[in-house]
Amino acid sequence: MKKINPIAALILFFCASLMFSSNAVAKVYIDIDSPSFQQFPIAIGDFQSPAGSVNKSTASGIAMADDIKRYLTMTGIFNILNKKSFLEDKNSGSVTATENIRFADWAIIGADYLLRGNITQNDKELVVESRLYDVTRGELLFAKKYKSKINENKTIARMIASDILLALTGDEGEFNTRIAFVSKQNSQADIYTVNYDGSEMKNVTNHKSIVIGPRWSPDGRYLAFTSYRDGRPEGYVRNLKNGTDKKVASFEGLNLCGSFSPDGNKLLLTLSKEGNEEIYVLEIGTMKLTRVTHNYSIDVSPTWSPDGKKIAFVSNRSGSPQIFIMDADGNNTKRITFEGNYNTSPSWSPRGGRIAYEGRVNGKFQIFSIDEEGNNLLQLTFDNAKNEYPSWSPSGRQIVYSSKISSKNKICIMNANGLNVRVLVEKTNSSLMPAWSPRFK
Amino acid sequence: MRKNLTLIGFLVLVAFGMTIFTGCAKKKTVIKDEAIQEQTAPAAQTAQQDNEAARQVKEQADRERALREQAEREQAAKAAAIAEVNIRDINFDFDQSNIRPDAREILKANADILLKKGAAEIAVEGYCDERGTAEYNMALGERRAQEAKKYLVNLGMEASQIKTISYGEERPLDPGNNEDAWANNRRAHFVINGR
Repeated sequence: MKKINPIAALILFFCASLMFSSNAVAKVYIDIDSPSFQQFPIAIGDFQSPAGSVNKSTASGIAMADDIKRYLTMTGIFNILNKKSFLEDKNSGSVTATENIRFADWAIIGADYLLRGNITQNDKELVVESRLYDVTRGELLFAKKYKSKINENKTIARMIASDILLALTGDEGEFNTRIAFVSKQNSQADIYTVNYDGSEMKNVTNHKSIVIGPRWSPDGRYLAFTSYRDGRPEGYVRNLKNGTDKKVASFEGLNLCGSFSPDGNKLLLTLSKEGNEEIYVLEIGTMKLTRVTHNYSIDVSPTWSPDGKKIAFVSNRSGSPQIFIMDADGNNTKRITFEGNYNTSPSWSPRGGRIAYEGRVNGKFQIFSIDEEGNNLLQLTFDNAKNEYPSWSPSGRQIVYSSKISSKNKICIMNANGLNVRVLVEKTNSSLMPAWSPRFK
Repeated sequence: MRKNLTLIGFLVLVAFGMTIFTGCAKKKTVIKDEAIQEQTAPAAQTAQQDNEAARQVKEQADRERALREQAEREQAAKAAAIAEVNIRDINFDFDQSNIRPDAREILKANADILLKKGAAEIAVEGYCDERGTAEYNMALGERRAQEAKKYLVNLGMEASQIKTISYGEERPLDPGNNEDAWANNRRAHFVINGR
C-alpha cells in the first residue's frame, strides 16, 4: 500500500475546505414573478325597474351595479367589462327571462359571465332581484331575490357580490369581514375596526397608552391585545358586545398576547415571568397556564395553525430572529425561514399550507409567504416602504398589512400573490398592526 | 514530478495561510484622555488669640458646627443620588442583549451608588431602536432589562427589589433616524423607587 503523498493530501484538504467554507446551500424555492390565475371577465348590466316589459335603468339601478362592480374589483379576480362596449339591445322582452338574452352579443365582447337584475324601492322596503349567467354555456348560474329595509343598498350589493364569488369560486369572499388595527400618535394608541370596504370605522378602546397587536377570537366577539394603560405591558381581552376589558395576563415582566386557538378556548401568550421570553398557552375559561417553549433565546409572536395542531413563532435561537414551527405541545420544533437574517410576524393562512411573514431584505422590510415545510418562498411586496405585520383574510385569498413610508403607517390589502394592492386606511395618525376578522354572519 | 508537487504544496500552504490570517479582525487601540482632576484646598483656619477658656468654648462650638456641616454634606450627597444624576444608562449593540465591557463599568458604578443608598426598589427599563419589528423589540427590550438586572444581582443587589419593564422601540431618547440616534436608543435605563 503506497503511502499517501503528504503534499497531495494538503492540496486536497485545501480544495475541500474551500468548498465547505461557503455558506450552507440555500434552500430551493420557486421564484414567481407573474400570477398563475386568470381574472373572470364579467359584464354587469345596470339594474332595472321590473315594471312591465319596458327595460328602464333607474338611478338606483345604476348605483347598485356600480356598487357591485366596486366590490368585485376589491377581490382582484374580476375583469369588469366597460358598459360602453355592451351590444345587447335595450328592449327585447322581460329582462329576467333567460331565453331573451342574446348570449352571442355578450360572448363577442369577451364576457364569460353576465349579471343582470332589477331593483324596486319604496318608503319602507328595498327589493332586488339578481341573476348570474354563464355566457359560454348560455346557462343561468343563480337567480336570487334580496329584501331589506330602505337605505341598505350597499348591504345588498355586498350580498350579491358574495353570491357571485360563491358561484364562481366556491367561497363567499371577504365582504362580511372587518379589520382591526392600532391607531397611534407618538406613544398614545388605541384600537379601531373598519369594514372590508373601508367604511364604518369605529373606535374600540380608550386606553391612550402604548397598545400592541389586536387579535380576533374565532367568533369575532372578542379582541385580545397588549396595553400599557396601567403602566406596564399587560394582556387584555375585550368583549366587543358590551365594551368591557378583562385583564388576562398581568405577570411579572412582559405580557404579550398571541393568537386565539381555532376553537376559541385558548390564547397564546409571550411571558417573561420565569426570567426569559417564552411562549405559553392560556386556557381562557380556567386561566390555566401551560409553558410551551423551553429555550434560553427570545421566543415571541406565536400564532396557531388553522387545525390547532401546530404553532408558528419567532425565535432568535439560531442567532437572529427567524420563523419556527412546533407542535401545539412544544415538541418537534423546526425552523422554516433560511433566507435573510431578520424574519418575524408569522401569520398562518386559514386555508392551511402557507405562512405569511415580514422579512428584512436590502435594509427594508417586505412581506413574504412560504409553505409549512419552508419551501416555495414568495416575495409579495417590492416597493420602497417598510411593509409589515401581514394578516390573512378568512378565504386565504388576500392579505392585509401595514406599509410605512417616511414616518407614517397605512393599512393596505393585497391578493395572496402580491397583486391588486388597495389602500384600506390612511389617516393623519399612523395606522398599523392590522388583524383580519373572521366572517360575520 | 516530485519537485513540482512540492512547489504546488508550498503555494497551497501559503494561499491557505493567507486566507486564514487576512480574516482576522483588526484590533483598535483607543487612547483615553484622563480627566484632569481639580481639587480646591480647604480654607486655612486662622487661630484666634483669646484667653484659654474662651478658646475652649469656641473650639467646642467649632467642633459642633463642623459636625453639623459634615452631616449636611452627607445629606446633600444622598439627595444627589436620589436625583439619579449619577445613575447612568447603559447601551447595547444592534439586536444584542449582552452586557458590553463599557456597560459593565457603568453598572458597577450604578450598583455602588444604589447599594450605598439602600434603595427600596428600582425599575430597569429596556429599550430598542426603531428598526425591526415592534413585538420582537418588546421582547428584546425586556431581555436587555433582564441582563442588566442579572448583572446588578451578581454585584450584590437583591433580585426581589429590581423590576424589569420593556418599552421596545417606544419612547426613543433620540428622535433621529441615523446610526448615532439608534445607538443612543438601544439602552437600559434605571429608575429608583419605581418612579
